[in-house]
Amino acid sequence: MIYVRWAVFVLFWLFIGAFLHYTLPQHDVARVVDTFEQRIDFGENSLFWASPNSGNADLVVNRDVLFIQTVRSNDRPMVYRNEDTGWGWPPYFKFDTKNLQTEAADLKSSKEDPQWVVIRHYGWRNEFMSIFPNAVSIRAVEGPDVRIIPWLNIIILTVLAALVWAIWVRWRRFRQARIDPVLEDVSDSFEAAGDSLAERRGRIQRWLDTWRKK
Amino acid sequence: MFALGRLVVIGFVVLSIIYVVLSFYSRGVRRRKLREQWDQEGMTGDRDAWVEEGLQDYDGSLRRKLLLGVYVVPTLLVALIIYLTNFA
Repeated sequence: MIYVRWAVFVLFWLFIGAFLHYTLPQHDVARVVDTFEQRIDFGENSLFWASPNSGNADLVVNRDVLFIQTVRSNDRPMVYRNEDTGWGWPPYFKFDTKNLQTEAADLKSSKEDPQWVVIRHYGWRNEFMSIFPNAVSIRAVEGPDVRIIPWLNIIILTVLAALVWAIWVRWRRFRQARIDPVLEDVSDSFEAAGDSLAERRGRIQRWLDTWRKK
Repeated sequence: MFALGRLVVIGFVVLSIIYVVLSFYSRGVRRRKLREQWDQEGMTGDRDAWVEEGLQDYDGSLRRKLLLGVYVVPTLLVALIIYLTNFA
């Protein structure tokens, strides 16, 4: 039983961690190599794609998606998709996909004369499922070793932790004050009921015994 | 605009649940504090009536109206995010 509890505990926190890691913004330093547009037929990976451009028809099974090809500062390739999140989840409220694509195309550079950029994105790159992180914004920086402090993540995670803690403390206090005494009461009266039942059975037994042959 | 409608409806429902829970909780806290004040100051008379009176004052107070921030703050936050993401 203890193993099941641990497994549930670990799975729960893994899920929370993965959810936050997918949803919260991250920054990559890279240089833009090229941009392209490709028709995507969504399959089992449809969960990892955002919505069509805001205002366009919804509920489509395939559509053209913009992509930004980059090489990161560690010389490894990274491809971002560039999609509206619109009014849906995650709440980036991104509507300027085409503008972002234009900015990315404007910042294209070669290996010999690199123009480094910081790309803000959320999501994961996974080759097996063909999923891509969604670029949210792009800005030019001086060099590949620029220091980025994730203020927004610090704030969000701090507020989230404070909120969970505040609710947890109040819930625990409520449970100690209201629910635990009731449960104790119930188990007390169960015990009392069990005792009186045993006593009654004893009386009936004795009465029955008077009919038995000695 | 269907997506916006969905966000508004779901957001309104969720925020309303938070608002109701929070207002019950806040009233409970206020009640407790009034009782503590009564006991500490050693007042005499009808304690429940005095607490009820204090709660009625609370119902009309600015503090009570600040709970409407449950609706206002997320709306402003969304507006801010939209501006920062698309226009900044």
